[in-house]
Amino acid sequence: MIFIAIVIGCILGAIIGIYAPLVPYTYSGYLAIAIIAALDSVFGGLASTVKKQFDLKVFVSGFFGNAILSMLLTYLGQKLNVDIYLAAIIVFVGRMFNNLAIIRRYYLEKWTNRKKEVANTEKTAQ
Amino acid sequence: MKRKQIAITLGIMCFILAIGIAVQIKTTGHNNSTVAQSLTDDSLRDEVLRWKERYDNAYAELTESEKELTQIRQQASQNDTTSTAKQEQIKANNMLLGTVEVEGPGLQITLEDNAMAAVGLLDPSLVLVHYDDILQVINALNNAGAEAISVNGQRIITTTAITCEGNVIKVNGEKVSSPFVIKAIGSQGALYGALTMPGGYLDILEDYGVIVKTEQVDNLVVEKYNGIISYKYVKNAE
Repeated sequence: MIFIAIVIGCILGAIIGIYAPLVPYTYSGYLAIAIIAALDSVFGGLASTVKKQFDLKVFVSGFFGNAILSMLLTYLGQKLNVDIYLAAIIVFVGRMFNNLAIIRRYYLEKWTNRKKEVANTEKTAQ
Repeated sequence: MKRKQIAITLGIMCFILAIGIAVQIKTTGHNNSTVAQSLTDDSLRDEVLRWKERYDNAYAELTESEKELTQIRQQASQNDTTSTAKQEQIKANNMLLGTVEVEGPGLQITLEDNAMAAVGLLDPSLVLVHYDDILQVINALNNAGAEAISVNGQRIITTTAITCEGNVIKVNGEKVSSPFVIKAIGSQGALYGALTMPGGYLDILEDYGVIVKTEQVDNLVVEKYNGIISYKYVKNAE
């Protein structure tokens, strides 16, 4: 059900995004870093759902807070002539891989358990 | 109930995310990405550097072989007076052609764009060095009996062209830029006098505001011509 919601959300968003107005090129860098932050939050949300620790407040505040903070950092970096957004990207992408690993392990375990169960039932049936 | 809530929030978030991604993809696809542009610039620059390195290596090899050739020629003509004479003739001809480095007393002229004076000037082109300035100086030097001339390491030979291509000056087809160091071997007094006399070309340039420096050097080394001299149409008529 969660995955169906995600897929529906993505499709709807993509359709609206195609017809949305263009962002000025100057700000597209900020949008890019916000996208990375949001992507990280979504993966975090999925991982916490898998771990059964999902908290709506944490999730929503993280989603918007991370995006805004990373945009502010990018702005500060541009003013200081340092690519601070690189640090944000490293953190977010690193966390994304961690969360992905958690999700992957969960489903792998589920799958192997089911396989074992099937084998067991087959054995008992024999 | 809880799962439904999670599904709805994640769905909304993904919705926002997908809008953002779609807009971003459209934006980057629409504009000429500056990142991509600088990337292509960088790769082109890399390629130029690689070719330059290859050229330099080949050129070093050529110089090495030329040295070997002269050595072999010397060895071959050691015990033969006619050969020795021919050898001397070849040397003298090479010197005239400009294919060997030469040294001698001479005058070193430095012409430099006056960047400080150009600020706020009505016509900044007055204080810049133009290709015809270099031509005039070379002409004056030749007139004063210069025997070998080079501009920023480019030897002036019989086929040398000095051209103005937009905002760059090319000598022998190679770009040169300010400061222009013009070296001329010849009678120091004659060269110096001909160029710096009142009403001489350097005097006029200095009046315009170009930075002009002249220096009399006793052991001036004038670089050799580093291209290939070839004739396609000229034939011996005798």
